[in-house]
Amino acid sequence: MSIRALWIITHEKGEHVSVRFSRRFPTVEYRAKSLAGSSYQAVPEDSAVLQLLLTELGLADPGKPYVAQRDDCLNQQRTPALELHVDSSAKGILWPVLVISRGPLILACLPLVEAGEPRPPLSSLLSVSQGLTLLEGLQSFLGGSEIKTDGDGLAPRLALMPSVLQQVCPLGTPLDVPQARAPSTAGVPAAAGSPRQPAWRTGQHRGRPAVNVALTETVRCMQYGDPSKQDLWDVYGTVTCKCDVEGVLPNVTVTLTLPPNGSPLQDILAHPCVTSLDSSILNASSVDDGDGSAFSGPYKFPFCPPLEPFKLCSYTSQVPVPPILGSYQLKQQQEVNHLRVSVNLKLHESVKNTFEYCEARLPFFNRVQMSIVDVKVSSGHLDVNKEKNLLVWVLGQKFPKSREVTMEGGIRFSGQLPGPVDPLCTDLTAYIKLYFKVPDLTLSGCSVDQHSVQVYSCAKPKIVTCRELQSKEYFIWNSTGPAPVSSGYYTA
Amino acid sequence: MAVSWVERVASFLRSPSRFLASTTAEVFLVELLREQRDERVTYDVKLTMLSPLCEHPTLLCPSACTGEETCLELMSVFSHCPPKYTEFRCQLLLTLTTVLVSTGCVSAHSHASRDFLELLLKLAQDTYYDPADVPSALRSTRAAACECLRELEACCPSLLSQHLELLNGLRQQENPRHHQALSGLYAVVLRNGVHLLARQAGAGPEGLKALLGGNAAVAWEAEPDSPALTDRAAPLPSVLGPSGLGPTLQTGPDCKELRSVLSSLLEESYLLTPLSQAALLHALTEVVAMVSGVSPAIFKAQLLRLLGTSKVCLFHCTLLMKAAFTDSLFSAEDEAFLLKRLVALCQHPQMSTAAQLFYTDCLVHFPENRPIGAADGGEALPVLLTPRLAASLVPTVFDEPATMLARLNVSALVHLEEHGAREGGAAGGGLAYLWEHLLLRLHVVEHGGDRAAVVTFFRASFLFLCHFGHVERHAADLRRRLCALYLRHCRLAPHVLNLADRAQDGPVRPGWAVALLRSLQGVAVSAGGDLAAVSQKDLHWHLRVLARVAEEGQIGQGSTVDFLFAVATAASPPSRNEDWRLGSDLLAVCRHLLAHPGLDALLCPLADVLQHVARHHGDTDVRDHARLYYSLLTALSREKLAGVLANGGGGANGGRQDNKRVLSAMVVESQDLTSALTIHKARTPVFHLVAKDRAGGWAEPTPAPEDDEAAAAGTEPGAPDADVLSSYRSQLLSSGAAAEIALSYELRHLDVGPAGFDRLFSLRLHFEPSAGRFAALADVCVPRLFREGASAAPPAVTLTLRPRAPYPGTLRCSAVFTAQDELTWHAALPDVHVAFRQLFKPLPVPASWGPALRLRAFERLWDEFCSDGDGGSVGEGGGGDASPDRACSLFCGRLGEAELEALLEEHFAPFRVADPGDATGHRVLLFIPPGSHVLLRIRPQEDAVQFHMATDNWRLLPHVNDFLLSVTDWEARNGVDS
Repeated sequence: MSIRALWIITHEKGEHVSVRFSRRFPTVEYRAKSLAGSSYQAVPEDSAVLQLLLTELGLADPGKPYVAQRDDCLNQQRTPALELHVDSSAKGILWPVLVISRGPLILACLPLVEAGEPRPPLSSLLSVSQGLTLLEGLQSFLGGSEIKTDGDGLAPRLALMPSVLQQVCPLGTPLDVPQARAPSTAGVPAAAGSPRQPAWRTGQHRGRPAVNVALTETVRCMQYGDPSKQDLWDVYGTVTCKCDVEGVLPNVTVTLTLPPNGSPLQDILAHPCVTSLDSSILNASSVDDGDGSAFSGPYKFPFCPPLEPFKLCSYTSQVPVPPILGSYQLKQQQEVNHLRVSVNLKLHESVKNTFEYCEARLPFFNRVQMSIVDVKVSSGHLDVNKEKNLLVWVLGQKFPKSREVTMEGGIRFSGQLPGPVDPLCTDLTAYIKLYFKVPDLTLSGCSVDQHSVQVYSCAKPKIVTCRELQSKEYFIWNSTGPAPVSSGYYTA
Repeated sequence: MAVSWVERVASFLRSPSRFLASTTAEVFLVELLREQRDERVTYDVKLTMLSPLCEHPTLLCPSACTGEETCLELMSVFSHCPPKYTEFRCQLLLTLTTVLVSTGCVSAHSHASRDFLELLLKLAQDTYYDPADVPSALRSTRAAACECLRELEACCPSLLSQHLELLNGLRQQENPRHHQALSGLYAVVLRNGVHLLARQAGAGPEGLKALLGGNAAVAWEAEPDSPALTDRAAPLPSVLGPSGLGPTLQTGPDCKELRSVLSSLLEESYLLTPLSQAALLHALTEVVAMVSGVSPAIFKAQLLRLLGTSKVCLFHCTLLMKAAFTDSLFSAEDEAFLLKRLVALCQHPQMSTAAQLFYTDCLVHFPENRPIGAADGGEALPVLLTPRLAASLVPTVFDEPATMLARLNVSALVHLEEHGAREGGAAGGGLAYLWEHLLLRLHVVEHGGDRAAVVTFFRASFLFLCHFGHVERHAADLRRRLCALYLRHCRLAPHVLNLADRAQDGPVRPGWAVALLRSLQGVAVSAGGDLAAVSQKDLHWHLRVLARVAEEGQIGQGSTVDFLFAVATAASPPSRNEDWRLGSDLLAVCRHLLAHPGLDALLCPLADVLQHVARHHGDTDVRDHARLYYSLLTALSREKLAGVLANGGGGANGGRQDNKRVLSAMVVESQDLTSALTIHKARTPVFHLVAKDRAGGWAEPTPAPEDDEAAAAGTEPGAPDADVLSSYRSQLLSSGAAAEIALSYELRHLDVGPAGFDRLFSLRLHFEPSAGRFAALADVCVPRLFREGASAAPPAVTLTLRPRAPYPGTLRCSAVFTAQDELTWHAALPDVHVAFRQLFKPLPVPASWGPALRLRAFERLWDEFCSDGDGGSVGEGGGGDASPDRACSLFCGRLGEAELEALLEEHFAPFRVADPGDATGHRVLLFIPPGSHVLLRIRPQEDAVQFHMATDNWRLLPHVNDFLLSVTDWEARNGVDS
């Protein structure tokens, strides 16, 4: 349940690699040595670890097309744990080195294996999930995905690492994940004699009580316009809360409700501050056929809120139709560089026709620049980007009354410069990607009623709830070209 | 100063070894500790300066003694540090713990550890107050102290087991703001205590009760011999290992105290951070697993909360509980629910990629209530995982590589489970889906996918082959498509060959790789049709592929050789003929062909290729190598060639793969070939020659020359005295054999010799006589020499020496041989000493000479040698020239009659000249090549034996004297020199 060492590494696409921070935990190392016996492998110095990690991650020697140690097809990296081969002997292996990598940041740690030989399965080591949790916590502390290695954000955060680790992982056993906000703004400590305070609520709020509950649903979609290929879409929602309420152990209950015919929320995950869960809430699962009699709310989440904003719960939902149904046809004309484009987008009648924004993007890969764009749209307006390889169809805030928009026309590619390359989108394999956000809407119909939020506290807080729908990876593939998906349904 | 210290510490942490190369650990430690006491240094800098000790304590404190001293120093720093520097004080506690544990100082005999434990226990309680202390600082310090105690307990189990009740009391105090730290500490101490108790034979409920009620005094001085401190236990492994549960404590149903403690810990677990909560739950799971009296149902109340959690560590904890308690906590319905939940988590959009991968790994190691497969830690699908459930885990082209591989693996397992290993297995769309997915990945590679996409495709292909290599339809199709891919993108050759290698080594159906290589050969040699159109790079890859194909004995190489000939003789472009790299690639193929079992059929065309390259290639190095290969091909036998090539190929260490990693095969080849063809020098002797007969024994009697003519000429009995000598001398001149002595030896390993030389072959022994003593010797060949097999006689070696002077001498020996590593070695042997006695020969007279003639020759020679030194000639023969070297002498030895007889029998038997008329005297005639004689008349006297000597070479007298001394000495002990 402890980690032996921790590394924070930055790189720019495999170049300018450096260990920006590392920490070893000699007491855990002492245990590792004793537990592993003859199979013990000491942790080498940072530079050696870095090189081994890069090799395993496929980032070493970026200039060389093939390096046997790096590219061997036997290295089936199917788990978040890597093996580092410190020397060529069978015993000189560091395992399991957990790595999470996002953008320029690589975080790695080496959990303690509390067993000797033979090597136990990864899933039997609690230190692995502990290590992953710590790494993910550190990742979001260091700035999540928006990190720039040279930017202002990372260096000051890295400078805080020693004191952060003293708090969250003083001797190699992770106790908590660092809080993204500055620790000094923590609330006032509780007075003696009050009830027991959760370790994750390090103080009390003083000031105007307020509760904010935001429900965001995200829809992902793959439409192929081909009967042999199954269109796929899914919806998942997240409830984010910020509760400024007084008390050492305040009690808040948020209730999610569905419309009468709504399909049940599935795969519900709750924040650990939720005090109790009803088994009926957890029953519905997206991977199961489920039974029609499934529970469909209300979903009650009683909890004691942390001081900072947090994700109260998340869920997935199966909706019968995607919000925008599209068809995309791209046809090769007789001239090589001439394409005929025809797009039709239809907003489903159940979806509120009020967008914060809505646009469709048509990228063209593996071609030269567009020279002539002779395309008409029935609504909104069309932009061509500066590089002349992307059409942006801005639909604005509303679909027309018919809830249907079309785009027709021809595009000639005879520019001088080659456009972007994508090995997937060759020939007529092409897509439209939709970007939209609809305020005050959820596809599942799920909502948080302002009045259903209960706060057991002396002062009545101000309660604000909101909801919205946004798209992510919403693709409509050209139906006249091969789409990059296995045909048919997966039925083993 | 401060800045420089921060930099120095950073430089130390970057690379301790490099830092310590410029100073010593001792000096650095002294400096660090000195700065800690310096009041001018700020606490921020002091904090930084604790890092080296905190991260590399064993480097700075290599011994327990240094560790102890360092700890005492640091504790004095702690006592002088004002409480407001909380962060520094906490770090100091952590550093102390680290140094104590790492240097092995935690024991009752260590003052430092006793004092430190006392300090920690005081800090953990509320008794250690400082008026200037602020509450938040106090909280941090106390939490740090608890954490230090927890780590000490984890490293030295049962250290605190005497304090369980005290800790429980602290934990239950009304408002301990560090309850998380105390709960964690309590759980670890409890778990260790129960674990050690369960290991004790006969431990029962009383032991448990005593453990829970343990409340030793806080003052450690009171009991320096506390068992916890004296017997240091090693850190305890997890009891929830895959190999089943750990020890169990038989307590009966009555464990009220333990149950109430567990319940209260579980009730409050909700208040802990997820990470601490998971650790606590895991420790309690271990406790319950070890104590038979507590039902796992105690966890029931927590389960729903845990099953619904979004935190990886908490859900994982639930899985570990499932593994520990199976159906005693999870019903069949629970199991189905848990599995569904796990599958959903494997692809939940809110989960990070790492978490999804981890859950997928948990899925293939799912702890089932009734596992069917062997619990060997390998991957197995849970029975309840239906294809319908797994359908959400199919790989898509948008997945990240690791996710895709994990899902491909699970989907393949599901398909195999469903349809068995039937050929085709086409009942469902699952296989078709996965196959199409692979083709999509291939499509990406074909259309310029980046390196990651290429690597991922080949990994996916390997995985697909591992699972579906038996489905001939797809295996053959994949082969075809890989060839097409290679044809379009020759640069992918290393990947294709790597796949072939792995498929051959791995679980893929045998033959697939060979078939792939055969197809690749076809693709590569087809380029020979229009070589001018093939780019230099592609040609390089073709040759690399053909080199690999040539390793396969099952694949015919005729087309390869034709292709090589075409490449070698191609006229255009001319620059190719100069290209060292291309030339070496070509030779690499030839090299593999030399080792091919079908070489006989390839001999002529391959020789043509090599000859052409050797003559016409533009690069000297390539020409030289071609010539070498040509010589090897035409001069060496198949076996030797195979041996040379096997050695040259780096086969000793990893073979194929290692060889491939070297960019230029030529370099490694030259080195290895050189090694194979070089004579290596053994540093110490390996074997020696041991005289076969008695130590330093006789030369084998050389058969006298069968000179019938000489015998017939005038050696018949009755010839006059003068004629005896002259005929003797004339036959001596005409026969060379008399001048030779043959010595027999055995070749044996030295008892203590270097390793690796137990089986030697083709030994060639070479001898170098000491100056002027012997004529040069011919080399001696010995076919083999094995150390083992004492039954087999060691090989005999006969040395035929032709002395140039009649004195003892030395032969310097050396040998060249092949050892079992198939390398050729040169080793010196210990010198062979030829003793004086080994030079003795009987009078070299024709066999036809009877005893009478020999006697007469003896008498004549005696007379001649003992006559006055006036140079009177005895005979007309050239050999009997009057010589000033003639001499007579007398040697006396104290010998009895019997002893004399034994001596004569042992040392002089072959050389005696019998005289029937003289019963008391014995005559001995020693001929010493090349032409000297020593005659002895041995007469026993009263108490001694007189050895009268006559010789034609007085320089021999000291040697004769020494010899007689040596042979009579052991007989008589007190020989008297005349």
